Amino acid sequence: MGSPMEYNGGSVVAMVGKDCVAIATDLRLGQQSIGVAYNFDKVVAVNDKLYYGLPGLATDVYSLREHLRFRVNMYRMKEEREITPKTFTHLVSSSLYEKRFGPWFIEPVVAGLPQPTELDPHPKPFISTMDTIGCITTPKDFAVAGTAADKLYGAAEGLWEPDLEPDDLFETISQTLLNAVDRDCLSGWGAIVHVITQDKVVTRRLRSRMD
Amino acid sequence: MASKGPVEGPSIGFDFSNYARNQYLGQTMGGLPKATSTGTTIVGMKFGGGDSGEEEGIVLGADTRATAGSIVADKNCEKIHYLTPNMRCCGAGTAADTEFVTNLISSNLELHALSQGKPARVVTAMTMLKQYLFRYQGHVGAYLVLGGVDSTGAHLFAVQAHGSTDKLPYMTLGSGSLAAMAMFESSFKQNMKREEAIALVARAIRAGVFNDLGSGSNVDVAVITKAGTEMLRNYEMPNERGVKSRNYKFRRGTTAWTKEDVRNLLVSEEVAVTAGAGKLQDTTEASQGMEVDA
Amino acid sequence: MSDAPGGGGGAYSFSLTTFSPSGKLVQIEHALAAVAGGDTSLGIKATNGVVLATDKKAPSLLLDTSALEKVAPICPNIGFVYSGMGPDFRVLVAKARKIAQAYWKVYGEYPPTKVLVQEVAGVMQKATQSGGVRPYGISLLIAGWDAHRGQSLYQVDPSGSYWAWKASAIGKNTVNGKTFLEKRYNDDLSLEDAIHTALLTLKEGFEGQMTENTIEIGIVTCPTADQLVEKPGERLPPTFRKLTEAEVRDYLAL
Repeated sequence: MGSPMEYNGGSVVAMVGKDCVAIATDLRLGQQSIGVAYNFDKVVAVNDKLYYGLPGLATDVYSLREHLRFRVNMYRMKEEREITPKTFTHLVSSSLYEKRFGPWFIEPVVAGLPQPTELDPHPKPFISTMDTIGCITTPKDFAVAGTAADKLYGAAEGLWEPDLEPDDLFETISQTLLNAVDRDCLSGWGAIVHVITQDKVVTRRLRSRMD
Repeated sequence: MASKGPVEGPSIGFDFSNYARNQYLGQTMGGLPKATSTGTTIVGMKFGGGDSGEEEGIVLGADTRATAGSIVADKNCEKIHYLTPNMRCCGAGTAADTEFVTNLISSNLELHALSQGKPARVVTAMTMLKQYLFRYQGHVGAYLVLGGVDSTGAHLFAVQAHGSTDKLPYMTLGSGSLAAMAMFESSFKQNMKREEAIALVARAIRAGVFNDLGSGSNVDVAVITKAGTEMLRNYEMPNERGVKSRNYKFRRGTTAWTKEDVRNLLVSEEVAVTAGAGKLQDTTEASQGMEVDA
Repeated sequence: MSDAPGGGGGAYSFSLTTFSPSGKLVQIEHALAAVAGGDTSLGIKATNGVVLATDKKAPSLLLDTSALEKVAPICPNIGFVYSGMGPDFRVLVAKARKIAQAYWKVYGEYPPTKVLVQEVAGVMQKATQSGGVRPYGISLLIAGWDAHRGQSLYQVDPSGSYWAWKASAIGKNTVNGKTFLEKRYNDDLSLEDAIHTALLTLKEGFEGQMTENTIEIGIVTCPTADQLVEKPGERLPPTFRKLTEAEVRDYLAL
């Protein structure tokens, strides 16, 4: 009858482009085969140029999101700076591993652009993903998670290419997500795509199948 | 919740607060998700010493495939983990466990070195690892090949998840260990030269990569001598992806969208020139006023 | 109550956590007195690093000074030096190292100097407000480098108060030391200059001969951009380190 990971459905994908990153999610919330809502946004912003998505068991999406909101706010106040994508990934990872023997049913995906600094004026775009107990993977190309992960792997492996400009990255990540979730009963029902550059974040809601 | 202790970190050890719930969910919904595992090939061997004319050292090797079930979760992951400048540890088993257990021991070894004023020994690392893993009775699923050089020479250990250890001149671990061991059993000699040792280790990993489904992609090698560690990341890349001769780039505007929100991150402000507080903001009038004084 | 335990502090010296009518916690003042009697330590921030230096004079010829450590590395980017009570320092160093490692385990990087200073200051403050303990009898100078704020130098007192300095001195001869530093300091001092200035300052009021055995030096060196590029399976080089006896000897010879 499926595992807690498949109970509510939903998928997230992130991709690296040329001086940009994109992260996209579907909007379905279900109870196994029954569709419940089409406005379940699984991607949230940490700060201007750092977003993350939490596909998995919906109850844990809320718990973990609130936990991370608390931790990031504490970090921001204590350190008087914004958290970097890499540091945030470690924070999520250690939060997950703390519950090694009773995990959150979530596979997070992180996408962000580090702030340029004097020592690193051209920071590389960053994406990462973790399993349910916090093992980090930092791919150079794309990261996928959720009930459509298998399909997303296939689609992204075929469609992604290096150095995509923001406008092209939008098309690639959108088509990857839309075509993957079309073959996943548990994902779909609309999608949201964020394309992050140093100057702006473009967020678009996609037209998609509603069955 | 369990966020106590310094710097809002996890207190110590694990938090079992979701355990009972997850057992219930596992029973009612069937099957709990599988963590990323490294269905791996990892190896290690001693070289040098004796009449080889070379200083003794350790060569470690690993493939770079991480799997989640039958899906390749990472095509180029790093399985040779850092412990200290002169110690490395290859990990097989549950990927998160190998990562976190080696990080923990690396951290404790640094504290140990700082308080003792000298680098920790390989046996110390091995003892810390086995005691930690034994405490968790195999539930922390880390299977490790530990190698390093210290004041007492070059040492190689295998550490099993339940806490048992072996000390051998060459060893293989993981799902590809049989394929890799075949290479060692046929070709290993005592006191091999450094280059011979690297070649043998790479061949053993290749045997895993090509004959075991759980192993794949590239060959990572680490060479540890008294002088330090040489990391040969992606020493061999026998499975590079072919270059696509055409691309599937979509024409801009392919994807239909219904709503757009652009969040501009560049702060711009307009500056209105005024000639002093309280005055009219009309610059011509203000400058006329100034001329009266001048 | 003139002969109350603690001696000299009057009626309010018996309890650590009781304010005197004038608003003082007398035990903290006594702790500061312990610091003021300790060997001199100083720190100078330069344009490309920080230097920590201390007087490590042995009270007896028979003492093996090589076993004595007053400048302590905490983590690869931060180091401590102290004036006051040695045993208290070692306890605090052990705690600070654990705090640094706990931070590393969560965030995958070592704490910025300011964060570690705040944590250690918190530990010291706790000892001014808890039952059954006494304040730490030391002041600390903390030097560090981090990507956010660059190189920095802090002082922490037994009360838990802390300050960021361009240059500071603690322990014996603080007043003279600080006056000397005020004269010698300028905003474009290089690390090499700062090390020499540190030695000159230490020399003021130094009893006996200054040698590689009687002083200790630690330095923070700001890394270049390519030193911060991570290589797979390796760690970044440390930014804090102690000078070896040979290096100290070379600086003294100049």
